[in-house]
Amino acid sequence: MSATPPRKWKFSRRKLLIGLGVTGGALAVGLPLSLPFARLKIAGMLDSASAPAGTMPKDPFVWFEVTPQNRVRLYLPKAEMGQGVHTALAQIAAEELRPAWEQLEVLNASTARGFDMGTMSVGGSVVVSSLYNPLRAAGAALRLMLQEEGARQLGVAPEKLTVAGGVVAATADPSQALTFGQIVSAKQGAWVASKQEPQLREPAQFEFIGKPMPRVDFAAKITGAAQYGFDMRLPNMAYGAVARAPRMGAKLLSAAPGTARSQPGVVAVVATTEFAGVAAETRAQAIAALDALQLEWSEGDVVEQADMEALVTVQPGAGTVLQSAGSVAAPLAAANALRAEYRTPFAAHAQLEPQAALAHVLPDKVLVWCSTQSPGSLRADVAKAVGRKAAEVEVTATYLGGSFGRKLNVDVALDAARLSAAALRPVAVSYTRAEEFQHGFFRPPTQHVLQGALDGAGRIVAMSHAQASGNVFPALVGRLLGADFGAYRGGLLRYNIPNRQVTSQPVALPVPTGFWRGLGLLANVFAVESFMDELALSAGVDALQFRLQHLPQDKLGERFKAVLLAAAERAGWGTALPAGRARGLACSWDAGTVVAQVAEVSVQGARVQVQRFTSAVDCGVLVNPDIAAAQTEGAIMMGLSSTLLEEITFSGGQAQATNFDRYPLLRLADAPLVETVFLQGDDVPHGMGEPPLGPVAAAVANAVFALTGQRLRRLPLKLA
Amino acid sequence: MQLNINGEIFAVADGDGLRPLLWVLRDELGLTGTKYGCGAGICGSCTVHLDGVAARSCLTPLAQAAKAAIRTIEGLAQMQPDGSVRLHAVQQAFTEEQVPQCSWCMSGQMMTCAAFLEQNPAASEAQLLDAMQNNYCRCGCYARIRKGVLRAAQLAAQPAGTT
Ligand code: FES
Ligand code: FES
Repeated sequence: MSATPPRKWKFSRRKLLIGLGVTGGALAVGLPLSLPFARLKIAGMLDSASAPAGTMPKDPFVWFEVTPQNRVRLYLPKAEMGQGVHTALAQIAAEELRPAWEQLEVLNASTARGFDMGTMSVGGSVVVSSLYNPLRAAGAALRLMLQEEGARQLGVAPEKLTVAGGVVAATADPSQALTFGQIVSAKQGAWVASKQEPQLREPAQFEFIGKPMPRVDFAAKITGAAQYGFDMRLPNMAYGAVARAPRMGAKLLSAAPGTARSQPGVVAVVATTEFAGVAAETRAQAIAALDALQLEWSEGDVVEQADMEALVTVQPGAGTVLQSAGSVAAPLAAANALRAEYRTPFAAHAQLEPQAALAHVLPDKVLVWCSTQSPGSLRADVAKAVGRKAAEVEVTATYLGGSFGRKLNVDVALDAARLSAAALRPVAVSYTRAEEFQHGFFRPPTQHVLQGALDGAGRIVAMSHAQASGNVFPALVGRLLGADFGAYRGGLLRYNIPNRQVTSQPVALPVPTGFWRGLGLLANVFAVESFMDELALSAGVDALQFRLQHLPQDKLGERFKAVLLAAAERAGWGTALPAGRARGLACSWDAGTVVAQVAEVSVQGARVQVQRFTSAVDCGVLVNPDIAAAQTEGAIMMGLSSTLLEEITFSGGQAQATNFDRYPLLRLADAPLVETVFLQGDDVPHGMGEPPLGPVAAAVANAVFALTGQRLRRLPLKLA
Repeated sequence: MQLNINGEIFAVADGDGLRPLLWVLRDELGLTGTKYGCGAGICGSCTVHLDGVAARSCLTPLAQAAKAAIRTIEGLAQMQPDGSVRLHAVQQAFTEEQVPQCSWCMSGQMMTCAAFLEQNPAASEAQLLDAMQNNYCRCGCYARIRKGVLRAAQLAAQPAGTT
């Protein structure tokens, strides 16, 4: 591969302004009163975690298939990435359909199943809450149809039948019974929906919801049989490799096959300025043949770490106001007002299964299997990449070996499709770990300016949070909204403070940034909840009491109070600790769920060791308490990894990490003892996959301060 | 070249004897239960047994693997004479404790644990946890991995047939 020498990516005032998004009219500084109605409405939806989630199919046979062999197949439009969603959704479906748990099989729906694009995507911790009612309705609708057909076959009136355990039986004479499978076998003609309105169970009657049902995907996963995108195989399959830009922003100026076609094992070469890659009999041959392509790249951007930090810096007066009450200017100008700056770095997803897909481009259709969070939108992208109609493309999500947002954008499937179209064979493409680090996208870096003022009684009279963050939301949405509603998650001030203001500055960076578990949640809560401790210290009030004193007098305030008290009690807040240990506390709201956490830390040399980590979580209805506990544990570990270790840095236009040697993850020895208490402060389910990540960094930073007196305002935390 | 994997003989092309066992298993033989995470010996996802010892298949040349009895996750459970499958103590423990999340790392976790327990049946808790130190789990299942390996040690210590 050839490359022209890079152009220095210059740090200029103009670029800074573009980066901050303050030059174009659409991104101009806004005030809450001037926010267009639509923008406020969308902001409100995102804030209440009720973002639209696609239109759910009414036909229960889109969701279910009952076989004559008496199996009940549940087809789900939501991918299993490890978050246990297949099990939780199976519980919700089973609650109203009432099969025997053992006869249920959960499968990924392909895009040909009949779900719409919006439904076929996972993100934002809203899967369970958005499907809770539609899936119950679908299960109940099918149950009624089976009951009515069973009534016809048994010659008993439908209302004299009971449905339970996958059997429709006469209530008065249980020997008169048919299994779901028998009913389906004997069914003549087409199914018609019942004219009756199905009755849904009351929570007290729940048989599956709220129970720790074992994970439905573990039998396959424990034996190594489960298939992920990286594992998909077809007869006569070839392996693809793709030429990657030598640095950020570099584009192909010219591309020719060179001698790639005659390299060992090569079956197809694609060399255009849009895409250059090779398919070969083996993975190694494909990678080796890339060197034989004749490619000329544009200079790209010499992205340097210091430039990135300069870009992501709060500019006074810039940004969109997202929250405003009273007036902060006067009180924050007082001599005794506090001000502090916080910063968080770029981070990688580092999911252990890199991007992977298998594509088979055939004359009449295109088949794709991929580790993807969003098969719906992927279908359209694949169609475009190979010049076919979306209707000809069928995408099936496989199991995902972790994702955390990374597999919302799965270019790897487009790579595989392009190479398959050229090779006329199925082609698998999977990223190497180096490609993951160098050619993916990152959690955006953030900077936060916190200011606060106390009155004579130690109450906060004014507080502001000004945040700058690399973009998260897709550019267009961001432009429409005027602020980045992904980047601000966790950034609003939910305490009862008469004068408050939150502003957000989306920053366009010459580095791809995007979705990452919780988006801005970890960063924002780190800043806001660390600063709450700074204010508590200044007021001379215990951190728990200080928070309780500032809770709003409403339902949310009640829920916060309950989790704060529960976490504090379980962690022994305020009780003596052995020498060398200290506790820190933090709380947050996200996707409808409130979380309070207490970290107990010690320090060995320059290393922070988190010994014990206690959470109280109120996510409303718990569909599966064991899965909720597992999600909480996982979010804590991922949060701790970010808090203590993770940081992507750039040099010369590339991320410096190419593997885990430069980007180590949390290990077993670093993992604290975890304890979680669940509270139910609401009667619907709320988000679970991301919310418990919120307070992690702040709780640890607050504990480190309590132990060492060092207020660390930058992630990862590094002791002086 | 012949490979002895899970008690069966597999033939693979001679070719380059330095090619990593991981890709021979996954791409040439279709044994995809062994996972790739880093290709550099760091994450442990690719762990298999060579003559009963845990080895990182991403760094094991084929020629070296050919000299040993290879065991992969697909061979961890034992097929019983009646056709039923008897899970290994580690698999049973990881199921009981509902350890995995995405499970991409779990073949490696279980193979590491199984090899250590088989070689060190009397290992202390600390030794056992220490043996698991170099296996990443990005989903953060560490709290349950701890429970799972301790439970596996208990199960393995029970005489066969008592579980
Ligand atoms: S893939 Fe072998 S150690 Fe990571
Ligand atoms: S379970 Fe996902 S990496 Fe361990």
